[in-house]
Amino acid sequence: MSGLGDALVEPLRHAFMQHALVAIVLVGVICGVTGTFVTLRGLAFMGDALAHAIFPGVVIAFLLGGNFLIGALVAAVLVSLGIGAVGQSGRLSNDTAIGVLFAGAFAIGVALISAQRTYTRDVAGFLFGSILGVSRTDLLLTGGVGVLVLLAMLLFRRELTTVAFDRVFAQAAGLNLWAWDQLFLVLLSLSIVVSLQTVGNVLVLAMLVTPAATARLLSDRLPVTVLVAALLGAASGVAGLYLSYHVGIASGASVVLVATGLFALAFLFAPRTGVVTARVARRLHFPHPERDAFAAEGNRGMGYGDRV
Amino acid sequence: MTERDGGRRPREGRSGTVPDDADAGVRQSVDSPLPSSLVPLEARRLSVHFGNRSALDCVDARFAAGETVSLLGPNGAGKSTLLKALAGILPPSHGEVRLHGRAVRRPSSAIVYVPQRSGVDWGFPVSVLDVALLGRGLRRSRFAPLGGRDRRDALDALERVGMRHLAAVQIGQLSGGQQQRAFLARALVQDGAVYLLDEPFAGVDVPTQELLVGLFGRLRDAGKTIVYASHDIAQAVASSDRIMLLNRRLVAAGPPARTMTEANLRAAFGGQAIVPVASSAAS
Repeated sequence: MSGLGDALVEPLRHAFMQHALVAIVLVGVICGVTGTFVTLRGLAFMGDALAHAIFPGVVIAFLLGGNFLIGALVAAVLVSLGIGAVGQSGRLSNDTAIGVLFAGAFAIGVALISAQRTYTRDVAGFLFGSILGVSRTDLLLTGGVGVLVLLAMLLFRRELTTVAFDRVFAQAAGLNLWAWDQLFLVLLSLSIVVSLQTVGNVLVLAMLVTPAATARLLSDRLPVTVLVAALLGAASGVAGLYLSYHVGIASGASVVLVATGLFALAFLFAPRTGVVTARVARRLHFPHPERDAFAAEGNRGMGYGDRV
Repeated sequence: MTERDGGRRPREGRSGTVPDDADAGVRQSVDSPLPSSLVPLEARRLSVHFGNRSALDCVDARFAAGETVSLLGPNGAGKSTLLKALAGILPPSHGEVRLHGRAVRRPSSAIVYVPQRSGVDWGFPVSVLDVALLGRGLRRSRFAPLGGRDRRDALDALERVGMRHLAAVQIGQLSGGQQQRAFLARALVQDGAVYLLDEPFAGVDVPTQELLVGLFGRLRDAGKTIVYASHDIAQAVASSDRIMLLNRRLVAAGPPARTMTEANLRAAFGGQAIVPVASSAAS
């Protein structure tokens, strides 16, 4: 008992660990909320693309000594506008437009930073995050941006939901699809930017998609899905950090592995929808004459007819 | 387009916009100009192009208050395009849509548009009641949750389409007919003057078809205008006041019996006209 207590309390003596925990909770909540819409709209590839596309913005801001958040946002908006323009030209799919533009943007970032002497360290930090280096200022910035994103999602919930669910209806109701899509992409970019330091560019996709996917398996209502995704994101973050501390593995990977593990559990055992749960429930609760007749015929002696 | 001058002539020519000849015998009953107060919705020389492909060519149409109009035509005839242009979703390349005499350039809350079911992600985590409430949500303050009145209205609308008992169900669990009813409930909650429906009868069960017909009748009696696209000729003949035959341009329009002539059907559907159905229904 005290062993478990120690395992939980001991890491908190380090300031870097306190900061890291606060940061990962913020990131988990922010990404859980925007990520729910990413999964509902099938924008996972777009999210991944934005995470890479903001790289040159971060690098240029770094080289000019400016604010990396602004650099990242400018790059994200430019790339998403570019994707929209190429995708709407008609000949190429959106998917292709995303692929072309994000790889190109990422290459600009790599080219710029490769001229620097600290190349390897900088790139590693960007790709995998450096959660243990989160400062108090970083926390304030993440918290501020996070509040902004969450407030915007809350205020515009009906528009964002309508645009995600039924685009033609949204148009007929007078919503400008392009404008609302851009707004969402900006909010998504902000979520990604504030997550980069904690989980890094490669794994931020997991924070966006995995808790939201798990939440969708557990809920049929949008507000509940959003809340559960935020909770799961934060919980995976905290559990992953402790795991990383005690086992000695990279923190970003450890957070993502916990989130993925929770997803696997939900996929197998979620009430009603879980692969295993559903099978068990079908056998236990729902007598189904046709299927039972079929089963009895086709699988005699295989236990299909047994019901409690 | 030379199409109009060649072989077949459009049967509808009103308000002098499409000059008609003295073929008075087959002129449509709606030819006489209606006072504009009775014509909530009107298309004037409406054309829509996608790139250099023409989807709709110079269509004139007037829709009166208290009538049900069905749009018939082959695939690609521009039925959906016409509905979207009327709803203010698709900007016309030429011509205009007028609502109560004023040009429509953007969607109006007086026009309720019900899209095809296939355009929606039915796996979306919303309940039937949530869908009905979408008809209201965008018109309410973003700072407050929807009120009890909105919920009551939504539940009433669900009652009218026989879906109240399914209010809490996630929409992916619904049958095709039930999905269409959920859309209808949302449209009822929106409460407009004109209802534009894209293929409301497609893939729905017989009880839902009957419910749709009954509902259209009640809306029409309440002075609403109902315009819907359909593939079901017999159904359209049986339950609409007027039929518009469309094949990128307007082929004919008028009461079913007079519009569904073999010549018109051939002009609209080409070789694939389902003549027996039409002629028996028209007789």
